[in-house]
Parts: sequence; C-alpha cells; structure tokens
Amino acid sequence: MKGMTIIVKTVSSWVKVFIFLFGINIVLFGHLTPGGGFAGGVILAASYVLLMLAFGRQFVEENLPLGLASKLDCIGAFMFALIAILGIVFGGSFFLNFLFQKYLSGQALHLVSAGTIPLLNIAIGIKVGVSLFLVILMLSISCKGRE
Amino acid sequence: MPYALCFLLFMIGLYCAVVKKNMVKIVIGLAVMEYAVNLFLIMLGYRTGGAAPIIDKTYLEPGTTQITANFINTSVDPLPQALVLTAIVISLGSLALIISICIRIYERYGTFDITEIRRLRG
Repeated sequence: MKGMTIIVKTVSSWVKVFIFLFGINIVLFGHLTPGGGFAGGVILAASYVLLMLAFGRQFVEENLPLGLASKLDCIGAFMFALIAILGIVFGGSFFLNFLFQKYLSGQALHLVSAGTIPLLNIAIGIKVGVSLFLVILMLSISCKGRE
Repeated sequence: MPYALCFLLFMIGLYCAVVKKNMVKIVIGLAVMEYAVNLFLIMLGYRTGGAAPIIDKTYLEPGTTQITANFINTSVDPLPQALVLTAIVISLGSLALIISICIRIYERYGTFDITEIRRLRG
C-alpha cells in the first residue's frame, strides 16, 4: 500500500518514538500501575501500524522483516516458558516466584520488586506486540485488487 | 438498573447480528455483544463506595498494621477484572480470524451482501 502526503509522514516520524516509549512504560511498570503485558503489547503494535499507514508497507517490511518478527514471537513465548520452568529448578513448584522469595526481594512500590512478574510482563509484551503487527501485515498483504 | 442497561446493549448487538445483511455490520454486532458481556462481568464485582484494587503509597504508610484487611474491606473485587482481561484478549484473536474470513469472501464473491452468497463454487 502506498504512503500518505509529506505532512503526515513528517508528523508521524516525530510521534512514533513517543508511542513506542509509552508502550514500553506500560509494559515495564505493569506490576505497579494498570496495564501489563497485553495492553503494552497492543500499544507497541499500534506504533508500527502508524508507520505502515503513513509510509507504506514496503518501508515497514524492510524495517522489521517477516523472519525477524517470527523469531521475536517465538522468543517471547520461549522466555515465558523458561521462567516458569526455572521455578521448578530453583524452588519446588511450577511458576514459583523464586526471585521474590530467595534472591532479589526489592522494596515495595519500586521498579525492582515483585520478583519474576516484570520479566513475565516483558515476555508477554514482546509476543503480543509482534503477533498483532504480523496479523495486520498479513491482512494488508492479502488485499489484492488495490494498492 | 445498570444490569438492565447492560442487557439492552446485548440486545442491540444481537439485533445487528441477526437482522443486517452486510457482513461487516454483522461483525460489529458480534463485537458489541462481547462488550456487553465483559461489562456485565466487571459490574458484578462492584462494591458501593469502593476504591480501585491497586495498593499504592496510602496503604503503606509507616505505622499502619493490617494492610491486607484494609485492602479487602475497601476495594472492589479484582478477580473478575483479571478474568475479563483474558476474555478481551481472546475476543481480539477471534475478531482477527472473522475479519480475515470476511476479506476472503469479498475477494471470492465480489460482494459483502450475504443474500447474494448462495452457492459454494468449487
């Protein structure tokens, strides 16, 4: 699909950085403020959709190719499963919060607290963001008969 | 009273999904029905005069005991909110599937009207 006019391209190239940073903020502080992995992942995908609407699909496909996006998708899911299995290795049970109970408690209401929950949020944020971006990219590829 | 309005929203979505002939309007009716169900589940956990179920600095002032008892006595129920978050993500995935089926039907038959899609072409 083609891009849009020069005004839309200029403004969206300034704004996309702030949307991406906002998404990272919601993912990373998911154990303190409302949000977490799902909502932050949707906002990360929305920043790429803004690029796709303003600059065209070719530009975004060179920026984040399909092979890399698939690998990031699998890395997000694998990280989630790995942290869950490490609960068995370091403690006794599946999904045990081993960082909170043994190694790294942290202080309440700070960024480094609540053990493995921020790491799980990052894994879900990566996976949901890349999955939604791939869904919208595939929907725009399969539209034949128009630009 | 809020439950009656939630039921009305569900009926509006059901009317759109049953009566309309355009495929995209049927999909919008399904989405409105899902909004009504999620809203009903969250409204079930409400407590009159309750606060949002987030522990911030006012709960953790130095010298207060019974943080958990204060939290349980003053906040709304957080369990339906966690379950509805999962339900919203599931409806997102199924909506993506439905939209891709709609696009495929449009490419095959050339129309969005469901009364003209009659025969399965081999």
